[in-house]
Amino acid sequence: MTPDGSPVTQPLLWALILLPLAGAAVNGFFGRRLGKPNVALIAVGVMAGAFAVALAGFLQVMGGVTLRTAPDLWFRVAGPDGRGLSVSFGLLFDRLGAVMSLVVTGVGSLIHLYSTSYMEHEDDFGYARFFTYLNLFVAAMMTLVLGDGLAPTFMGWEGVGLASYLLIGFWYTDPQKAYCGRKAFVTNRIGDFGFLIGFFAVLSLFGTASYGELAQLAARVQPQQIVASGPFQGWTVQAALTLATLGFFVGCAGKSAQLPLYVWLPDAMAGPTPVSALIHAATMVTAGVYLVARTSFLFAMAPAAMAVVTVVGAATALFSALIAFAQNDIKKVLAYSTVSQLGFMFVGVGSGAYYAGVLHLVTHAFFKACLFLGAGSVMHGMADDTDVRNMGGLGRRMPHTRWTFLVATLAITGVVPLSGFFSKDAILAGALFAHNRMSEAYPWVGPTAYALGTLAAAGTAFYMMRLYALTFSGEPRTAAARRAHESSPVMWGPLAVLAVLSAVGLVLGLPGEGPWAEVFRRFTDPTFAPALRRLSVGAAAHHAAWPFLVAWVVALVSGGLGWAMYAGPLREVPRRFAEALPRLHRFAVDKFRVDELYDAMLVRPLAAVSRLLWRAGDAFLIDRVLVDGTARAAEAFARIFRTLQNGDVQRYAAVMAVAVAAILWTALGRGGP
Amino acid sequence: MLLGAVIFLPLAGALVAAFLPAGEARQHRGWALFVSLLTFAVSLALWAGFDASPGAPEFQFETRARWIPAAGIGYHVGLDGVALLLVMLTTALTPVVILSAFTVSDRVKEFMVALLFLETAMIGTFAALDLVLFYVFWEAILVPMYLLIGVWGSQNRVYATVKFFLYTFAASVLMLVAILYVQAHAGGSFDYLAARDGLRVTPAAQGWLFLAFALAFAVKVPMFPLHTWLPDAHTEAPTAGSVILAGVLLKMGTFGFFRYAMPLFPDAALAWRPAVAALAAVGIVYGALMCLVQTDMKRLVAYSSVSHLGFVMLGLMAITAEGLTGGVYQMLNHGISTGSLFLLVGMLYERRHTRLIAEYGGVAKQVPWLATAFVVVTLSSIGLPGTNGFVGEFLILAGTWLGRMPGAQVLAAVGASGVILGAVYMLWLVERVFFGPIAREENRRLPDLSLREALVIAPMLLLIVVMGLVPQPFLAPAKPAVDRLVLRMQQADQRRSPGRPTVGRQPPALAAGGAPAGALAAAPGAGSR
Repeated sequence: MTPDGSPVTQPLLWALILLPLAGAAVNGFFGRRLGKPNVALIAVGVMAGAFAVALAGFLQVMGGVTLRTAPDLWFRVAGPDGRGLSVSFGLLFDRLGAVMSLVVTGVGSLIHLYSTSYMEHEDDFGYARFFTYLNLFVAAMMTLVLGDGLAPTFMGWEGVGLASYLLIGFWYTDPQKAYCGRKAFVTNRIGDFGFLIGFFAVLSLFGTASYGELAQLAARVQPQQIVASGPFQGWTVQAALTLATLGFFVGCAGKSAQLPLYVWLPDAMAGPTPVSALIHAATMVTAGVYLVARTSFLFAMAPAAMAVVTVVGAATALFSALIAFAQNDIKKVLAYSTVSQLGFMFVGVGSGAYYAGVLHLVTHAFFKACLFLGAGSVMHGMADDTDVRNMGGLGRRMPHTRWTFLVATLAITGVVPLSGFFSKDAILAGALFAHNRMSEAYPWVGPTAYALGTLAAAGTAFYMMRLYALTFSGEPRTAAARRAHESSPVMWGPLAVLAVLSAVGLVLGLPGEGPWAEVFRRFTDPTFAPALRRLSVGAAAHHAAWPFLVAWVVALVSGGLGWAMYAGPLREVPRRFAEALPRLHRFAVDKFRVDELYDAMLVRPLAAVSRLLWRAGDAFLIDRVLVDGTARAAEAFARIFRTLQNGDVQRYAAVMAVAVAAILWTALGRGGP
Repeated sequence: MLLGAVIFLPLAGALVAAFLPAGEARQHRGWALFVSLLTFAVSLALWAGFDASPGAPEFQFETRARWIPAAGIGYHVGLDGVALLLVMLTTALTPVVILSAFTVSDRVKEFMVALLFLETAMIGTFAALDLVLFYVFWEAILVPMYLLIGVWGSQNRVYATVKFFLYTFAASVLMLVAILYVQAHAGGSFDYLAARDGLRVTPAAQGWLFLAFALAFAVKVPMFPLHTWLPDAHTEAPTAGSVILAGVLLKMGTFGFFRYAMPLFPDAALAWRPAVAALAAVGIVYGALMCLVQTDMKRLVAYSSVSHLGFVMLGLMAITAEGLTGGVYQMLNHGISTGSLFLLVGMLYERRHTRLIAEYGGVAKQVPWLATAFVVVTLSSIGLPGTNGFVGEFLILAGTWLGRMPGAQVLAAVGASGVILGAVYMLWLVERVFFGPIAREENRRLPDLSLREALVIAPMLLLIVVMGLVPQPFLAPAKPAVDRLVLRMQQADQRRSPGRPTVGRQPPALAAGGAPAGALAAAPGAGSR
């Protein structure tokens, strides 16, 4: 998969994984004794080193080469005929990998730096543990994005899940937080089930899991071709790949928190706020988007799967935006916002606007990390209170946090000229004007996604302005809010950098013509060339200017409404709304009671079935009736036969006499005259 | 000779120990540890000397001796790669178990003698190449195990040990009958090779023979629904007994399928395969569901064994190189990860004298290193990539999916759902034991791992990571034996259904030029080793 030049072997790529891993190892084993400053130095140092390596690699990739490492064998099992399953492990640093690496190590470095101050209230052990997990996460995430095949990606995929589990439950003495960590892991495992099925399906079709070989093999087959052998014998390639890619998408829905598996992400906010910023906003949760982008050449042969990705993404975007309306926890609002924005990204990669989906991934990493770190700064100033109803007026006390938060809010809202506008609009326009095999097969998908997405964008503008207004404007509503203080420069420094990135990120997505137009698209298109070739139906897509205007108007009107209702003249409206429709309001506050639904539909029935099987099946039927019953039956037989040898000589004699008579009778009867 | 030394060193050590004074408990502990370490050291020579190249003899380190020639019984031992791996598992696990049992203070001499005797019997079971010799070793295991549970067990030990003994013994007796029948129809010899190559019986008789063998093995595995002796035995056994039981004894059942039930009676094995595979898949899910409702840690881990051994059986029944190799690998993994779980549960038990999950909670704060070890072992148990468990589960599920068994994809999917449930019950266990607030005052005084305990668990953790990242050295020895079994089953398959193969792997349909072998040879990963 190196359409833009021959691959160059570069073993230094391993440093991107091994540096954070080494940091995790040192801090994990010795961190307690090293002391906090040394722990921080090691953790941030390895991140900075990894960022430098990623930057150097990026510069080379800009020059038109692709970097890779020679794949090492992980394991191989061959049958007697020499044919077999070979799972290798190599790294691939192409344009997509370069973008992801820069985001992970760059934003990751900033968040590590921020954490050195944010986590300083922990004791030595907790501090070392935190940075061990955080470095471990980066190592796993880099494995995920650099792996040159499904196997290393899956290894990273599960590794980030582990790091996420450990970090959500970082304060494990709180049972609620420990539960949230487990919920995240288990929900992700449901997704992994799909990933594995997709993995096996691809293996049974192509016999390899390496992206490069898969792309080559896939380019040679036609979607309507009939599969001649294997589990999919008699299916068309398109049908088989639809199953495989839908399997992958189940995995993506778990990792990237899409309907119906999104429920773990809001609960993941139990982790320390830098974790929410790094893992549950900027990087890990985008892994699903990355996977769809990475396997785009397979999705491109399965239009039905692309349609599912698009529709699920759009539905998730709107659904979680609606939930975010009524949340009062600053981190929960941001979490539902993340779910919603991930939905946008899936609309992009699902409808064939791959670059737009990935661009939104990048800009979202900037502004959402900034928002989360800002929320962390607010919590720091508010003694860990997260309820926006207790805040208000923080803008004057925390100016750095306020301004950076405002920039990021405007960026996510989609106000020109900040980064979120172009990336979000590129997705929506891409879906609406999609002109490819998917849109030919399912013409309703693009407009539907556009409509849902535009509504979700309006919702985004509204709840984000609401959040900003409730937190920073007006008068302090509690004593804690009056006492709030600005955080240390180590914390607001990264905020400032991220705010600047949220603003200047727009240069990546400028529309139009000229040297500065569509920089990101031109940069990433070579990676998506196989998929785009496959999807192409001739004439180029046409673009119109009106969606830009619509998006802008939507952002301004909806954002303005949010401001007016929570900081402006319409301040009475939300209260009256809640009073007029108390049940609807309650329903929204309760997050549409999806958790309760899953509890009633899945969790409790599963427990009940298990208990029934255990009590009635295992303990009673199998063990008591069959096993012990056999033993008792043997005992009963023994008791019957015991009467035959009870030591009574007379009875023995009687039995002997009868037996002799019987024998004589038979013998004589047969041989006698 | 080398193999003979590995088999009988522990027995010789046990005999010496029998003459040492019973009062010197420390001496017995040290002696048993020394003997088991020596055995392990000698067994390393087996590991180093084993030739896994295609032309190498099937069984290596072979020794033949006259034993009871009049009855056709001989002393014949030898190792193929799979037996070698299991012997290594046994010799590696035994010193760990003995070190962990240093806390036993009641009848130390008898305890250590029983463990050493057990080691000889276990190695002998894997090494035997004569059906009677195999049967002798197989049954000899019951005696020390019966004593371990019955003498050093907890409250309900007598019920558990009698159940364990009778259940496994009754099933094994049927195998003995079958062995006698085989001898009568295989030229009057009990030799394994003679029986395998010279057995002439009717298809119906083969079916009955397979069932007799399979029943003995299925009880030992244990396969659903023959598993109910296991939770009782595990719960009542002392830690050392549980570790040996989970670590090695259960593998005797799966090994039996691999070595005896399938190659001796291939046609019957194929006939019964759908049923066995279905029971394996049911066992995966059923065992996991049972884990969800247990309140006793050891019972939970015991039921998890039912689930994990279901994976092994599914891999064996796939009859693809991937599935069989994965099954063998998962035998090792289960020995290590479940063995470690029992070790760690035992350490908690020694601190608090209870196995009830509800008695714990929040103890990670007190015992951070023990908690860390437990989490690592848990990750291995739920098959996280990077640990050994992933390699085994992946090979089994992929091998099943890629195989030709009817309904293979459904079985693979059912098995994969066990991966979800595994995470559910194991992480819930971790959460209930280690996380949350400390609810009981007693738990505030728990000491973390001692140096001895760290030495017990460290090799296991090392193996978990090494076998997860560098699995090839542990996969390679199994290849010749796996290949032979696949070929053997393929021949039987052709007899049964000519032209419609049901064993072996399906070639990938869309690989380059329809020549999958070429595509894989061109794969960069394939040739680099």
